[in-house]
Amino acid sequence: MPAPATRPWLRLLLLPLVILAGMGLSVEAGLLGPLGEQVGHLWATLSIFGVGSAILFLLLLFAGPQKGPALTDLPRWQLIGGLLGPIYVVVLTLATPHIGIAMTMIAILSGQVGKSVLIDHFGWFGATRKKVNAERWLALGLIVVALVLIARG
Amino acid sequence: MSLVILLAVVVLAGAVLSVQAAINGRLGESVGVLRSSLLTFFVGAVITGLLIVFFEPAHTLSLLDVPKWQVCGALFGVVYMMVMVGAVPVVGTAVATVAVIVGQLGMGMLIDNFGWLGNPAIELSSSRVLAMVCLGLALVFMYRSSVRRSD
Repeated sequence: MPAPATRPWLRLLLLPLVILAGMGLSVEAGLLGPLGEQVGHLWATLSIFGVGSAILFLLLLFAGPQKGPALTDLPRWQLIGGLLGPIYVVVLTLATPHIGIAMTMIAILSGQVGKSVLIDHFGWFGATRKKVNAERWLALGLIVVALVLIARG
Repeated sequence: MSLVILLAVVVLAGAVLSVQAAINGRLGESVGVLRSSLLTFFVGAVITGLLIVFFEPAHTLSLLDVPKWQVCGALFGVVYMMVMVGAVPVVGTAVATVAVIVGQLGMGMLIDNFGWLGNPAIELSSSRVLAMVCLGLALVFMYRSSVRRSD
C-alpha cells in the first residue's frame, strides 16, 4: 500500500490513473447496454462479477500471502461494499438502452458527487473527514453546470 | 413518468457507487487491494447468481453466444476497482470521484460521438465540450482544496 497520504507527487501520479479507470467505466457501460439487451440484464451483470472474480482470484493466488487481518476478522459493515456493487451494474444495464450512455452517466455522476462530498464532509464509513470548503462548493457548482449543459446539448 | 423513475434510480445508483468506493478504500487499507476487490466481485457474483436463479426469465441468447469482446467489460471493472481501492485513501473520495467523472464523461462522449460498441451515435456538440471544461475546472478545485488541507 502507498505510505503517507501527504506526498503531492503520489497524488499527481494517481490522478491520471483514476481518470483512465473512469474511462474504463464508460467502456464497460457501453459494452453492458447492448449485451444486457441480448442475453438479459442480470446475465450481463454476472459476466462482470463472474469474470472479475475469476481474474482477481488468479491474481490473488499468484500474488502470494497477503498482509493484514483475515477478512473474517473485520467489522461486518466493511463487507457491504460487495452488496452495493451489483446494484450499480444492474441499474447500468437497465438504463443505458432506454436513456443513453450520456444521460445515464450524468445521473450516476450527480448521485456520486453529491454523496462523495457528504462522505468527505462527515467522514462516514471510516473515510478521512475533510470539511467542505468554498473551493469544494465551487467545484460542485461547476459539476452541476456541466450536467445541465450536457442534459441540454 | 417511468423515465423520471428510471433517472431517479440511476442517481441513487451513483450515490451507492460512491458509498462503495469509500467502504472499499477503507477495506483495501486494512486487507490489501486484491483481497478487498475479490471480496467485492465475489459477493457481487453470488448475489447476481441468486437473482438469476429466482428472477431472470429465459433468453434465446446466452453469454456464450455473443462475440467475446462483448463480455470483456469485467476487465475494465477490475482495473477500476483496483485503482479506486488504491487511490481513495491517498487522494480522498471526492477528488477520486471527480477524476473518474472526467474520464467517464470524456470516454462516454467519444463512444456517443462515434457510436462505438454497438451504441447509437450522438454528435459531439459545443455545449458538451463546454461541459468537459467545467468538469476539468471542478477537478482542479477539488484537488487544490484537498492538497492544501493535508499540508
